[in-house]
Amino acid sequence: MVPGSPKDLKLRTRLLVTLLFGGGLLGVWWFVHSEKQQKLRQQRVEQLRQVALGQGTFSLMDHTGCRRTKRDFLGNWVLLYFGFTHCPDICPEELEKLSTVVVTLDRDASLPPVQPLFITVDPERDDEAALARYVKDFHPRLIGLTGTVEEVKHAGRDYRVYASAGPKDEDGDYIVDHTILIYLVSPDGLFLDYYNRMKSAEQIADSVRKHIKNYATL
Amino acid sequence: MTAPNSAERKTCWDARDHLWKCLDDNDDNAASCQRFQSEFEAKCPAQWVKYFTKRRDFLKYKCIASTNQDDDLPRHESLEVLPGDHGSQWVRL
Repeated sequence: MVPGSPKDLKLRTRLLVTLLFGGGLLGVWWFVHSEKQQKLRQQRVEQLRQVALGQGTFSLMDHTGCRRTKRDFLGNWVLLYFGFTHCPDICPEELEKLSTVVVTLDRDASLPPVQPLFITVDPERDDEAALARYVKDFHPRLIGLTGTVEEVKHAGRDYRVYASAGPKDEDGDYIVDHTILIYLVSPDGLFLDYYNRMKSAEQIADSVRKHIKNYATL
Repeated sequence: MTAPNSAERKTCWDARDHLWKCLDDNDDNAASCQRFQSEFEAKCPAQWVKYFTKRRDFLKYKCIASTNQDDDLPRHESLEVLPGDHGSQWVRL
């Protein structure tokens, strides 16, 4: 076939039209899909708002001996985890995961720094000194919080955290059975999302990133 | 008593992993893994030994339960081949 012949041009035109058409269809599909995702996200935030977790205030002592209330963390994105320092494996793993999430998000200069928090469910053993020893193994910004049994219970109730100390053995040691979740709290103190053991650090970081970007536009 | 620090946790987890590997290799024969068992108990707080032992039993049970799913199907005495509605072959167990 001679290049530039009518048959050739017709083929090329047809190909171009097909590609443009296909590209257009793909574009429309992608637009509809992302609108739907946005709508689903908004619905979820609405649902979580109705569940109304974390609406109250808490007043606790951090691992450096300073009193901290919920108000002190307003204006920050917070990732919150409840646990205890005598925890065999789950708490260290979740805090390790939490630290990785914060490091990942820190790498993105367009995002504000996220504040990781660790609140104990075992105030009888986890005083400031115990928390200070514990948190230093994780992200440098991680703040450990404790208080009296009442103060800690109050904070836990606010997030509907289940915690139940098991029987003490002859060393006085015991395991505290508790809800294993990482909570995401927005800068205006609203509980926005939660992540269980199944979620990887990448998935959590992605989700937090999306929430932060959406929050600016909502 | 103070909580184990990061290094102590790792020592305990390693001892646990060695024990569990031994038990896996020896079909859960605890007698063959006495050495690992003692090391595990020495390197971990008593509460953690109890917790991890229970966890292993739970994981084993979960594994058995999922591989034995076929056992849930009813078993019958006779074996017959019947034509199904769509002409496909159904075997009545």
